[in-house]
Amino acid sequence: MTARTRAAAAELPISHREAGMPTPLVGMLLFIASEVMFFGGLFAAYFNSRASYAGVWGPPESAPELEILPIALPITIVLLASSFTMQFGVWAIRRGDHRAMTRWVALTLALGVTFLIGQAYDYTTLGFGLSDGLFGTVFYTLTGFHGAHVFGGAVGLTILVARARAGQFNARHHVAVEAVSIYWHFVDLVWVALFTTLYFLR
Amino acid sequence: MRRLAARWRLRSLLRAAAPLLLIGLLAGCMLPPTPATTTAKSVWWLYLIVFGMGAAVFFAVEGFILYAIFRYRRRDDRLPNQLHGNNRIEMVWTAIPTVIVLIMFVVSMISLAEVEARSPEPYLEVEVIGFQWQWTFRYLDGDTDPSNDYSVTGAPGAPPTLTVPVGKPVRLILHSDNVIHSFYVRNFLIKRDLVPLPNGRNNELELTVSEPGVYAGQCAEFCGDLHAEMTFNVEALPLAEFDAWLASVQAGGTPQPTPSPGTTTVALVADLLAFNIHQIDVAAGAPFVISLDNREAFSHNVSIYRDGERIFFGDYLQGPATTSYQVPGLQAGEYTFICDVHPIPGMTGTLTVE
Amino acid sequence: MATTTLAPRFGAFRRSWVWDWLTTVDHKKIGILYIVNSFLFFLAAGLLALVVRSELAVPGLQFVNVQTYNQAFTMHGTIMVFLFVVPVLSGFANYIVPLMIGAPDMAFPRVNAISFWFLPVGGLLIFSGYLVGGAAAEGWTLYTPLSGAAYAPGYGTDLWLVGLTLVGTASILGSVNFIATIFKMRAPGKTLFRMPIFVWTMLVTATLILLATPVLAAGMIALLIDRNYGGSFFDPAAGGNPVLWQHIFWFFGHPEVYIVILPAMGVVSEVLPVFSRKPLFGYRAFVFATIAIGFLSFSVWAHHMFVTGQVFLPFFAFMTALIAVPTGVKMFNWMATLWRGSISLTTPMLFAIGFLTMFLIGGISGVMLSSPPIDFHLQDTYFVVAHLHYVFFGGSVFGVFAATYYWFPKMFGRRLNERLGKIHFAMHFIGFNLAFFPMHELGIQGMPRRISDYSATAGWTELNLLSTLGAFLIAASILPFLVNLVATFINGERVGDDPWEGNTLEWATSSPPPAYNFDVLPPIRSERPVFDLRHRHDAEHLAAEPHPPGEGEA
Repeated sequence: MTARTRAAAAELPISHREAGMPTPLVGMLLFIASEVMFFGGLFAAYFNSRASYAGVWGPPESAPELEILPIALPITIVLLASSFTMQFGVWAIRRGDHRAMTRWVALTLALGVTFLIGQAYDYTTLGFGLSDGLFGTVFYTLTGFHGAHVFGGAVGLTILVARARAGQFNARHHVAVEAVSIYWHFVDLVWVALFTTLYFLR
Repeated sequence: MRRLAARWRLRSLLRAAAPLLLIGLLAGCMLPPTPATTTAKSVWWLYLIVFGMGAAVFFAVEGFILYAIFRYRRRDDRLPNQLHGNNRIEMVWTAIPTVIVLIMFVVSMISLAEVEARSPEPYLEVEVIGFQWQWTFRYLDGDTDPSNDYSVTGAPGAPPTLTVPVGKPVRLILHSDNVIHSFYVRNFLIKRDLVPLPNGRNNELELTVSEPGVYAGQCAEFCGDLHAEMTFNVEALPLAEFDAWLASVQAGGTPQPTPSPGTTTVALVADLLAFNIHQIDVAAGAPFVISLDNREAFSHNVSIYRDGERIFFGDYLQGPATTSYQVPGLQAGEYTFICDVHPIPGMTGTLTVE
Repeated sequence: MATTTLAPRFGAFRRSWVWDWLTTVDHKKIGILYIVNSFLFFLAAGLLALVVRSELAVPGLQFVNVQTYNQAFTMHGTIMVFLFVVPVLSGFANYIVPLMIGAPDMAFPRVNAISFWFLPVGGLLIFSGYLVGGAAAEGWTLYTPLSGAAYAPGYGTDLWLVGLTLVGTASILGSVNFIATIFKMRAPGKTLFRMPIFVWTMLVTATLILLATPVLAAGMIALLIDRNYGGSFFDPAAGGNPVLWQHIFWFFGHPEVYIVILPAMGVVSEVLPVFSRKPLFGYRAFVFATIAIGFLSFSVWAHHMFVTGQVFLPFFAFMTALIAVPTGVKMFNWMATLWRGSISLTTPMLFAIGFLTMFLIGGISGVMLSSPPIDFHLQDTYFVVAHLHYVFFGGSVFGVFAATYYWFPKMFGRRLNERLGKIHFAMHFIGFNLAFFPMHELGIQGMPRRISDYSATAGWTELNLLSTLGAFLIAASILPFLVNLVATFINGERVGDDPWEGNTLEWATSSPPPAYNFDVLPPIRSERPVFDLRHRHDAEHLAAEPHPPGEGEA
């Protein structure tokens, strides 16, 4: 946290500081715990399938190997960047600058949509589908559900932009921004785990 | 006040009587069937120990509860001693059950090692194949050619018999290529699933039957419509008798009937749990041939029924394989042909004879 | 049927009571909606049980064909677990937990409402299989490959999967609500270790729901993909493993059974102290035992899979044996609560004590099953059916009825008739044991479960007939209960704030409470604030040093 945001926080009434984490944030963290378990179940299916698979684990023979270029690595960088822009937006509204926050959140949304478009394009170049064997099934299920969660986050970001432009956020009241940011970072972390597992661990 | 006390007494008595009566009635029977294999005997004793401990706990705890609600029933408005707890007793009644369950665990592991022990050279190896909804037992003769192995397949209402020797280890290879089944013989106090696993793996079970006899078995993993009919028997013969039996069945084969020239042949294909045709027309009085091309790994057959009565039975065919059924001449009328193993609409049809 | 008797109605804005109940976000109304919806599903699933028991009474298929039978036991189990016993206890928790912690409502009232409405929709989706060629029929555990597209074609299974995903999502949202409420909305003075045990059990239950249900969702989605989109998760021909389904299902399934029993244990922990006129013995031990059960419940799942030959037996046998210990600690604490108490055998108390006995039997049969060699004989037999009914029905459902008779006066301002309640209990208790105790013996003698028929020569006929009689007696026992409900609503005995001399905060407000729950809160200095209030002038009580529960004698 920068000195500026720390100073802004110190101006909040003491009741805010003593009350602990705001309830909507508690709710979001609990929800994310359930999402961790959901992806955990899918990852468990991935590792179990990989362990019991007899042949070479990877795309079917008719398809090329998974490559991190030209798409997978760039979209990873895009998504990682979007976490930074999201956090800049949170820091902005903590110091009361709702215009900067709107810009950062809109940029986050754009980066997220770029990720989704990139992911969709990647699907068309892979050369195998959901019904092309066990690897295809787990690959598309994992990445597909991650993409769905990014889409959900994009919806949340859109709502944030709309509410910010309607002037609903200030330094004292912006818990929705904090909540969506936590969700967005989570979605990013899941992607890092997925990317590492699918493209490096193999 | 006295009527109140009398009601408490009656209710306590009823509460004591009902479960104890039931338990008394059935306690004599709460023991497993007579164990018929070497490992089943050790499991039987393990059961007795664990059940005995459970029964003792039940009577002690239940007795305490019944005594307490009788002895401490409310008689007046005085508040009893407001005891909140006692740390020492908490530790005692945490430690003692922990010790008890650990003992039970260790005894179970010792018994488990016995059950799962495998001998280096089993006397007999049988592949137990489960399908919807019967069994095939294939006696492996040591060569890797399955087509000369003696096998027996069951039918609904005609359960197959797995013949084994007494006193020698028998290894069962449990194979399914469809759904999960379970091989369960109650007098052996054991069951094991037949799981369609990837990479051609199979579960295995090893038994040494200790008494001659016929033992009832049944599929114990729900496998669909006719799960309840997936019964079988295990017949344990004294060693010499078994050797003689095995030699005689391995010598004989199952001859394939060849159709005589000039007869009508109906070509039936079985695939994806369905016949390819559902209407057959033949002439009355003339024998004909049904050739069955079974293109999948299930066992199928063709039987002919009229008014609910089976008038022709064709042998089961484990696919993929072909066979021919010689059907004698039939009277004119409407018949039904059906696969007995899968009496579902896809494997049913009408045979019109005129 | 007003639950807001002290709140003035808006004169200018008239709303129909139907619209009010459809759009309510009040946790008390939502709790009642949960309870009513759950009882309706209970009756439906109970009828399915009667279909099963009627068919099994004597050998031969007399009433239904095998497909109908298989759908009946599948739907019976599914509806009872997911649409009755979990939601009904959630309903009581929804009503009571905010009151017990002195809060005005749940943390997220609108999410609370959505969580409820997903239930009838999900339940109807699951049932709608009957309208499209047959409901799911592979057992409530839906093992693959039997539940795959090849062996279970038709929409029934897909509808089951989609409906249950909805129900599961509702559960997860509800659990977020409960945990946030319990951590963030307790009244001043209501520290964690002064919360009623029912609130603790709901906290651990909600945590289990939060962490276990998503895994089931992942598995169900994987099965939907296999069934409808050419997936290969569970297809051995493509390298997938059918046993993966069992791992995913039971990783959820075992915490699920603790989700079912812990709230009922919480109810018993409220009822026993009130009707023994003593505090719960060993409050702290109870809390730690509950948390231990929560943790351990994630480590035992494969004891449902001992006979698959695909699991590491010693680990799961060990953890399963261990989980018996905290459960035993709870049983001893309940017994010590009764000891030297002043016991009134009211109807809620009868159901709570009945719970102790029935759960004891269910727990002992569970410990027997935890030993792999014994499990090799008893798994997939009627012994397991007996065990699960003793813990689910003898445990949780007895807890549900205890909660019903205990909290009905708080919810509706009238007490249910005691004589009819005792008749209900007696018929229910006798019917239950008659129906399910013989199943232990049937399983020991080798009768497998999920069979539509059995041989006349097997020797199982008499016990099956006895069990069917018991089942019908249970069904009959619902009648005095329903009569009681109707009669009480019409003309039952009216009660005030605290008809039972309770201990916890829900008894510190009117019956029923106003919309905002409390006008004033009593001082909160222990886990029994209403007891403290009632005895505030009691010299002995004042003289005793205030002590946190669990430290020595009073």
